Amino acid sequence: MAKDPRVCRLEELDGPKSKQELDEMKMPYEDYCRAAFAPGGEFSRPLSLKGIRWLSTTMYIFTPHSVSNLAELGAEVIKVEMPRMGDPMRHCAPFNETYLYPLHDTRPMTGTGMGYLNANPNEYHITMDYHLDEMKEAFYRLVKMSDGLTECYRPGTFDRWKQSYRYLIEMNPRFIYVWGGGFGYGPKVFGGSYDILGQAHAGLASVTGMHEFMGGHCTKHSNWCIDWYSGTQITFGILAAIHWRRKTGLGTMIEFSQVQAATRCLGYAAPLYGRFGIVRQRWGNWDTQLCVHGIILAGKSDYPDAINPQDRLDARYVMVSAFNDPDFKELCEVIKKPDLYSRYQKHKDRVEGEAQVEIYAALEEWAKDKSRGDVVRILQGAGLLAEPVMNDREVYECEHYRLRGTIRWQDDPIFGDVLAMGSYGAGLMSKTPRRLYWIWRPVGADNVKIYHELLGYPTAKIEEWYSKAMI
Amino acid sequence: MCDIIWCKKMVDGKPCNTVNYLDPYCFWNWEGKVNCAECGTVYYIHMIQGHMYKGPEERPGEKPDTSPLYADKPLDGYSNYSPGVEGRTRPFECLPRHIYLGVPDMRKFSIRGRPLRGWRPQPPDGGIAGSYKFNWDLKRLSPEVWEEYQRMLRDGEVKDW
Ligand SMILES: [Zn+2]
Repeated sequence: MAKDPRVCRLEELDGPKSKQELDEMKMPYEDYCRAAFAPGGEFSRPLSLKGIRWLSTTMYIFTPHSVSNLAELGAEVIKVEMPRMGDPMRHCAPFNETYLYPLHDTRPMTGTGMGYLNANPNEYHITMDYHLDEMKEAFYRLVKMSDGLTECYRPGTFDRWKQSYRYLIEMNPRFIYVWGGGFGYGPKVFGGSYDILGQAHAGLASVTGMHEFMGGHCTKHSNWCIDWYSGTQITFGILAAIHWRRKTGLGTMIEFSQVQAATRCLGYAAPLYGRFGIVRQRWGNWDTQLCVHGIILAGKSDYPDAINPQDRLDARYVMVSAFNDPDFKELCEVIKKPDLYSRYQKHKDRVEGEAQVEIYAALEEWAKDKSRGDVVRILQGAGLLAEPVMNDREVYECEHYRLRGTIRWQDDPIFGDVLAMGSYGAGLMSKTPRRLYWIWRPVGADNVKIYHELLGYPTAKIEEWYSKAMI
Repeated sequence: MCDIIWCKKMVDGKPCNTVNYLDPYCFWNWEGKVNCAECGTVYYIHMIQGHMYKGPEERPGEKPDTSPLYADKPLDGYSNYSPGVEGRTRPFECLPRHIYLGVPDMRKFSIRGRPLRGWRPQPPDGGIAGSYKFNWDLKRLSPEVWEEYQRMLRDGEVKDW
């Protein structure tokens, strides 16, 4: 019934409705956050995607991440891997120096590498060689009882194997089919992609890093950021598709290009070129819209004697922010360059490229004989915003992240003691928080659970498939 | 793809036969002298947009400006110089070399001293069709690690964070 706009009801007004709510509103913000998010208490709260079942025929990080997001939100995700091999990402580790057990009974001397961490949490891992006619039935039966599938094969591959959208939509009209790949349906449709390739092809690597006169080169973002980012974008696509299906009862197909995601990351770079012919440049850790607002290099490390180069050499960067006029004036006084202020009194003048070159050079010149800690102390003492750029160890040791639950130790049922970040680092939610049950499972670990308990195949059949390496 | 210097310098009557990899990141537009990681011969090169424009020309008696990223001896199988080998390959300060030694390091405990079921070899324990249970029973499957863990617990070597 339409609401009469002339009727005003107390419970619909903003503000507290009870004494309890009033007290809650008077809570200090930190206490309120602690109560609302309660890190560690996720498991007693509802799951937002409970009841959704998703199939994942994905590899590496980009597409796995798109469904691991669903798994962290409570969906039942079944990951299909190649028998005996698994996701190639399992074989990726820094300098091949880590192998985490167990990968598979049949390969006792290989393990899962560190690269596999965080990309496939909470998923059930089964194996299936879906090239084979014998396995088609099981695959189709999974499709019929699932809400969707994410795949990352070259365009046309799943069609050749009779398991593309046009086949699956016949079996399950509510099915949501996601293809995540390199370039999308265009001239480079058959080009395979990878994080570094996406970053380079989209132009993101070109604007990342220091400018050449600062000794820079075009630089790849670390930790496959475009893989993670594209995966998250797919997740949003899936959520929208689920919403659409709830309204219409129909499934859909989502096509997602990794390279386009990296282009999107560039913000105004492409329109800027299209409109004015200006090629966006690399500006290091400065902001092109604000000055001073960037990262400077101090001359000395906070830990000059450390063995680890991350401490010894890299613990030298400081974020400095003093972009409004009085702050900039103060900053110029601290570094004893009052002439800089007299020349660049207005933000509009400071933000020009030439001015920034001069200002940041002066800041680094001043910081040359100081450690990172000194720079932060002096600037904070003068009432300016300055924070050290932390390295991994400092993040691990930082109390803030522990209280927030962003990083935490987890007793994984297979892996053992593991410092987890992935799920919890993606933002906290108060009502339906993400949660982490397990970081990964061995190749084929849930074959019996899925083939026997879910699909009802007899154990003898499963053993036969396994012995023939069909699963 | 990066350019290389395949050093053929005769050393003790044998060609040096070392491939020195010129990491494109640093040599993309670069002119200067670079050493061979094996025999130390100094070569002058001039690279433009990743292509060798001049060189490699030997510069005996001169000091190198930098070193190759990495070098290997393909005719010897797998012998190589990793990035950051003092005096041979380009100084490389990204990894703590006292931890990363180029060989797998099997850890049985995390840095806070709790069991990490990641080493090898471990006894296979897959059930039917490689199906694993949801709990790796450390005491049953790796009794010696379990024993060590009990000792560490007794000695207070296990931390909460
Ligand atoms: Zn040589």
